[in-house]
Parts: sequence; C-alpha cells; structure tokens
Amino acid sequence: MTVESVARKDFRDALRSRWLIGLTLFFALLIGGSTALFYGVLLKGAGANSETLFGLTTAPGGLFSFSYAGMLGFVLALIALVTAHGSLIDERESGTIKLLLSLPNSRRDVVFGKLVGRTLVVLVSMLVGFVIAMFAMLFLGGQVMFASYAGQVALSGLLATSFVSIGIWLSATSTSQRQALFGTFGLYFIFAVLWSTVATGVPRVVNWAMDQLGLGTLSMTQVIEMRLFIKYLNPLRAYETLVAELYGPAVAARLFKASLGERLTIKGVFEESLPFYFNGWFILAILLAWIVVPPILGYLSFRKADL
Amino acid sequence: MAAIELNGVTKRFEDDDGVFETLQLSSTPSVTAVNDLSFSVAEGEVFGFLGPNGAGKSTTINMLLDFVRPTEGTIRVLGHDAQAESVAVRRRTGVLPEGYDVYDRLTGREHVEFAIQSKEADDDPDELLSRVGLDPEDAGRRAGGYSKGMTQRLALAMALAGSPDLLILDEPSSGLDPAGAREMREIVRAEAERGATVFFSSHVLGQVEAVCDRVGIMRNGELIAEDSIRGLRSRIGTDSVLRLDVDGNADLAAVRNVEGVSSVDADGERLAVSCTDDAKTSVIEAIEASGATVADFETDTASLEDIFIAYTEGGKTTEETEVSA
Repeated sequence: MTVESVARKDFRDALRSRWLIGLTLFFALLIGGSTALFYGVLLKGAGANSETLFGLTTAPGGLFSFSYAGMLGFVLALIALVTAHGSLIDERESGTIKLLLSLPNSRRDVVFGKLVGRTLVVLVSMLVGFVIAMFAMLFLGGQVMFASYAGQVALSGLLATSFVSIGIWLSATSTSQRQALFGTFGLYFIFAVLWSTVATGVPRVVNWAMDQLGLGTLSMTQVIEMRLFIKYLNPLRAYETLVAELYGPAVAARLFKASLGERLTIKGVFEESLPFYFNGWFILAILLAWIVVPPILGYLSFRKADL
Repeated sequence: MAAIELNGVTKRFEDDDGVFETLQLSSTPSVTAVNDLSFSVAEGEVFGFLGPNGAGKSTTINMLLDFVRPTEGTIRVLGHDAQAESVAVRRRTGVLPEGYDVYDRLTGREHVEFAIQSKEADDDPDELLSRVGLDPEDAGRRAGGYSKGMTQRLALAMALAGSPDLLILDEPSSGLDPAGAREMREIVRAEAERGATVFFSSHVLGQVEAVCDRVGIMRNGELIAEDSIRGLRSRIGTDSVLRLDVDGNADLAAVRNVEGVSSVDADGERLAVSCTDDAKTSVIEAIEASGATVADFETDTASLEDIFIAYTEGGKTTEETEVSA
C-alpha cells in the first residue's frame, strides 16, 4: 500500500527476530556502559560534564589518540550496514518479495519502506543507549551539556542513517546475498581503513599528472586542501569533524586528527578565511547526501531488476 | 474488455548485470523464455495455462505481475499497462505466485491481515483462513513452521483478500494433497461464479479439465494451442479408441471406410479402431456385416492427458495443428 505499511511490517519483523532487542542491549552497554565507566570510575567525583567524554579527543593522560566520536562512528556504521545489507536481497533470495509485490506495493514503497524500517531499528536502539548514558551521567554527578549532547545524538543519528542508506543501496543492487555481504564488508573497509590512503593518493596522482602535462604542480596548501576535502567526503570523517565542531571552533574541527605538517601549513589559511567547502554546513550537506543519494540509486537499479 | 491481453511478448534473459557481475568476464548466453506470445483472456473467464515445466508459464505470469519485464511486446491487465501501472493492476488482482516464501516470523493471520491492509479491504481474516481450510490454531502460529500445503493455503487466502476482479494462480495445486486440490478447484469455481476472472497455470491436466472455460498450452516459450477443452479434443480428431475382440475375419477395409474412423489396427482377432463417438455403432455394424462377430468391446475416451501429451511432446497431431491466437 505505502512506504509506511512496508516499514511497519519490517520493524515488527526486527522486533520478532530479537534483532532490535539485541541492538538495544548492545548500545545500552556500549554508550551507557562506557559513560558509566568513565564518570563512575575514571573521573569519579571530578565534577566533569558531558563534554569531558563525548568531546574527548585523547585518552586521559594523553597516552594515545582516542576520539569518542571516532569510536562510536565505526561501530554505528558497521551496525547500520549489518542491519540494512540484507533488507532487499534476503527477501529476493527467499522469495518473500514475491508475496510483498503480489500485493499493491510498488517497488519504490518496498525500497523506501525498508529504508525507514531499518533506520528506525538502528535509531531506536542507539537512542536508548544515549538516554541511558544521560541518566548515568546525571546519576554519577556529571553535568549534561544539553546543547552539545543533543547535537552529538543528532549527528550520530545522521551517520547511522547514512550507513543504513548505503546498506539499502547495496542490498537493492546486489543479485545475491553473497554479493551484498562482500559489498558491505568491502565498502566498510574502504570507509574505515582505506580512505586516508585515497585522500593522500589522489592529490599525488593529480600532481604527477599535471607535472607530466607541463601544467606545473599544486601548491602545498592546495594539496592539503584537496586531501582534506576528500577526507570529508567520507561520512565517517564528516561525522567526526562535525561532532568536533560541537565542542570547539570550526577550524580546529576541520583540522581534527590532521598531521602536524598539515596543521602548520593550513591553520593560518583557514583562520584567515575558511573556504565554503570546509564550512560546517557544507560538511553536513555531504553527510545528508549520503542519506539521500544511495537509496535513490538503489531504487533505480531495483526498479529495473527481474526478480 | 479483455482481463489479460498480451501482444507480441518476448522475454529473453540476458546474463546478470549486477554491479559485481559486470566486473566478471564470464558471460552466459541469453535464454529466450517466452517468444512472441499473443493471447487474451476475457473478463469472467476461467483460463487454464498449461505446459510442461520450463515452457515459459511462470515467466509469462511474472510478466503479468511486473516481477520480470518483457524484452519486447506489450501486456495489459484489467485495462492497465502491466509495467507502468502495475500497482493499479495488483490492487484488483489476487496473486498466488510461484517460487515465493512466507515470512517465517509472522503468523498466518498476520499475513492475511497484511494482505487485507495492503489492499485496503475490509475482509475478516478468520473467514478467509477458514475458507482455504487453515484452522484457527494453525493461523495463530508462525508461518515459518508451516508445511508446503499449509503455506499454499495461506498464500491463497492472501490472494482472495479484497474480492479481486482477477485471480492469477501459478501452479495452485502444488504441495496440496488430492483433497486440498479439490478444495482449490471449488474455490476457483466459486470465485468465477462471483464474477472474477481466473488465470491459472498447471502442468497437471486433471486440475484444469474440470474448471476451465478455455486453456492455452505452452511449449518452449510459445503458445501452441488455445481453445476450449472440447475444441482441443475435436482438434486432435480422435475422441475414442474402440477395442474389439472379433470372431472370424472382419473386413478391415470396410471398417476404415466408415465415416468418422481415422485408423484401424489389427492384432490377430483384436481390433483397435480410432473413431469419433458417433461412429462406434457404425463400426460394429460394419464388422458384423462382413461376417465376423464382435465377442466383446470396450471404449477408451481420449483423456485430456493424451491430448496434452500429444501437444507438448510433439506427436504427429501437433505438427498438423495450427496455432490459433
């Protein structure tokens, strides 16, 4: 009938399969548990507020580089992909899609209904984790900075949704479960591991090509800008820098986890004038594009598919 | 207006073109599942769609439902384009698809409720379930534990939701025991009496003979015959085989000359005469007139099964039969 009825059925299925319960427990332990541990044990009675943990960029004592948002981003992305990657292909392989499409549901209803259903599953479980974390902080004497905390929750929701979208795209485009699975892990590997290599490699290749063509070479600033731009095309990195902006100035957020060399070269340039494509709103638009574009691509492919 | 209308429909399955498949260099040759198919089913008609497995029946049905897209040709169902207006088609159609599966974790009743909601109908789910013979206890269980027969009944209940104008049933009797198959036929008949058009496929003739107004026979992706059961019979030309035990020498030439006789085989004193029903008496008279006596005789009516086999296995009768469309 509508996107809504497909979404509702999908959500109910997640309830029945205990996937929702499992995820909720997982996020309760991960977000709620880490918060309780931090405020109850590590910073006991230190009068900390929510930004102490969630705005955290290095481990207490500065022993190693750690960002809470970075950790949470990796986990959310993986959970979202795992939740979404089978959504359409599983029904295609089992044949339940024929039952679904025998009824007056359009293929658009099915793709976007799945998107809504699976997104809700991830968001609901994640929200429970954040709510538990909030009560843990309040209970353990930490102060909750509501503006930045709400921002963090909202951005985490957007990141999770973007990876559900990517999972739906993979699921809609694949012709077997094996394909969807390999695609999922492949993409996750690219976003989580390979991306920095790409971000470093592309400017080098461009530089080399320009040199070969006798067009001169890029300036150091241009190389670093290109590298940063590519870096923030990755939803995981976009999320991380947007979260950092909740806890500090935009320039610092854009140079979050940048190398010392990058900092030295570009900080002054950025402080003078931050290019619009490094503006927070622009980065947010990139994150939103990851939510909107993949399911549309998935639908366009699924629309043409022979089931 | 025709309930179903196919015009020059061809379906070739090319090799897969998924994102990953394009990276692979292997290519499978394309298969033509349906070739230049044209036929129509009138409103209110019960149409049996026959053919051996792999003849292209399911592909045709999948095209009616927009599960697969024709390579060429147009399909209209209930006045709508089957591709562009598929949702409008399915709003008024009840479908029992082939190769489907139920949602393991939903109960039978929830399946039917989902179908009713999707069709924006107001049927009573329990009534539909009892109509197809699923008892309330089973209806409350998760469908993942159903047998094939129960699953088939459940899917039929979903198809009946919303009193559809058209029922498309792909091999509805598969998985059903004989009693279940009979109930299925009764439901088909009742739906037809209500005014619904019924289009169903089968590779078992017995399912079709009793309920169909008309049948179409598919072979190798083509419709090789389309007629009423009676029409098919007469087209084969031979209604009966008369087997006779004869004392004395019968004049076989005289028997062959009897009007309505198509062939006479003699095996000693046993004759097998293929003829129309009306010719039987004349055959016996001709034998007795030639001085022999008929000690005993029996008649085999050519079953629809024989006709079906004659068509689909390409006996001589098939070669002589023109396809009417």
